[in-house]
Amino acid sequence: MMQGLLTSIKAEIFVFAHSRAIQLLCVIPALITAAQLVLVRSLAASSDARAALMGSDSASGGFGGGFGSAGNIEGADAWGALVDALGTGLTLISLIVIAYAAWSFASDRDLGVVRHLLIRRVSRPALVISKLIQAHLLALVSITLMLLVTFGSAALLWDFGPVVEDGYELIGTEEIQAELRLGLSLALIPVPAAIALGVLISVLCNSTTQALSVALGLTLGLDLFKSVLGSAADYLYASYLVSLLDESYLDDVARLVRGFSDVMIDPAVLQLNQWVPWPQMVLFVVLALVLVRHKKL
Amino acid sequence: MTEAVLHIKNVIKRYGDVEVLHHLNLEVTRGAIHGLVGLNGSGKTTTMECVLGMQGFDGGEINVLGRHPRNLWQGAGDVVGIFDTPGLHPGLTVRQCLEHARLLCGKPVRTPAEVETLLGITKYSHYKIRQLSLGNRRRTSIAHALIGQPAFVVLDEPFNGLDAGGVDDVLALIQRLNRQEGTSFLLSSHQLAYLESICTHLSILHEGKIALSASTHELISPTESRLKLVCDHPEAARELLKQTLGVIKFEKVGNAFMLTLDGIGPGDINRKLVMSGLTVSELQPEKRDLTVLFQDIVSKVTAKPKVKAWQEVA
Repeated sequence: MMQGLLTSIKAEIFVFAHSRAIQLLCVIPALITAAQLVLVRSLAASSDARAALMGSDSASGGFGGGFGSAGNIEGADAWGALVDALGTGLTLISLIVIAYAAWSFASDRDLGVVRHLLIRRVSRPALVISKLIQAHLLALVSITLMLLVTFGSAALLWDFGPVVEDGYELIGTEEIQAELRLGLSLALIPVPAAIALGVLISVLCNSTTQALSVALGLTLGLDLFKSVLGSAADYLYASYLVSLLDESYLDDVARLVRGFSDVMIDPAVLQLNQWVPWPQMVLFVVLALVLVRHKKL
Repeated sequence: MTEAVLHIKNVIKRYGDVEVLHHLNLEVTRGAIHGLVGLNGSGKTTTMECVLGMQGFDGGEINVLGRHPRNLWQGAGDVVGIFDTPGLHPGLTVRQCLEHARLLCGKPVRTPAEVETLLGITKYSHYKIRQLSLGNRRRTSIAHALIGQPAFVVLDEPFNGLDAGGVDDVLALIQRLNRQEGTSFLLSSHQLAYLESICTHLSILHEGKIALSASTHELISPTESRLKLVCDHPEAARELLKQTLGVIKFEKVGNAFMLTLDGIGPGDINRKLVMSGLTVSELQPEKRDLTVLFQDIVSKVTAKPKVKAWQEVA
């Protein structure tokens, strides 16, 4: 079993390393976040220039202030733009890895690739586990690249310091960094559950198109419905995933660093965020492992 | 007793309420090239998929090299399958696909370059699979399977999409692997002439059952002596042969007659006709081929006979 699993993982990594499409998927979020930062900085610079020309002192207070400008709060726009870009990157990565996980097994089954693996060296459960690992590898590479590019680009475009309003420090650099780290780590915790759901859908569906449609439809559906579920949504992994209708702590960090809020994360929410996604991930994986045994491949 | 690499016993397979394999029994002996012939929908691909563990079955037993089909992976490449779709990553090059196969293969005995040469795809080595023609994809698929040293190869429609040269290459390759390495094969095809030329054993699958299974020699060698007769006065010949002991069947096929003999030979018939003053322009033993045999078996159940013959049994 272990030998088969190792073979399968090696085979998946081989495909991963040689597929341009997969490499592109790894790079896209990083490129988009960099483009977003450059765009925000350019708009802020043009807004500053226009304000200077018109003799106004409300630099960066207009359109160039990003998604929710902090007006004359020093340092807020830089941190705000950074957190927004991280949010964009993680949203894209979430959608990409879910879609990729859903595509991976279904596509290999449609192409007949899984047959070679199954007949030669790899058991069905090992194949599912290797797909999970491959999707996690994609997420890991993609997130690492996105973080490096986003922090690097932001460091080139802005000077980062404490958030100060009228000479009063609203939040210090170290505190922001700590909250940013917490926001990022909490946002990453539900990603394995999302990947596991993608793989489960991939195993269940009869074609690649069906798997992709169901995975993206379900993800967007959960995103829409989590706001109407009330407190029940606290027990859903999707509530903590950075998404289009974001309710993750990273969204709160974006308000925090702009000086719009001084409310840190509720300890109960922190606990739920840390623990709720794991049992759901385990459930999705177990279901995928059970169902793949009976699936026509 | 010859060892079996594949043993199928009373296998039942249903799709919903439809039973597609009805108590199927089949055995492939070690070292055999076993052809599986059948009409579309007769259950060939389902049988192969069950054998390779791609789908389950509802009853009976399948044993492939001592393993249940779901555990073939434990054999580390002892069994390989080549399917009607090539099953290769379209974004990889031919060489990358073969390197990928080496990773999957427990005992690689050939390098990618060697199998490329074997299948005549060396010049496509750096082409992506999606850029290849169907025939070359199939060659790559076969190369992918042969990178190890499988003991048993299952091929579903291996000649689809191949040109004449490609078919000859694959036939020669199958025979070479069978003779030199003792590889056993189970292959399905509609190309009966190809199967007849290489298979040591043949099974005819019809409506989910094996209608006939034997060595190719036994199948195509006539058990009754059958003769094709062309002569100048057919009616007179018929009347004469009706009264001849040993002529048990007399069929008209176009301008000729087909005689089924028991206990007498072509020489006896020729002598009798010539001595009666008839001119025999053709008298030759019928060469049975797989197509005729297949049509005979299939037509007994479903189709109408292609040759409308009047026949008499003496």
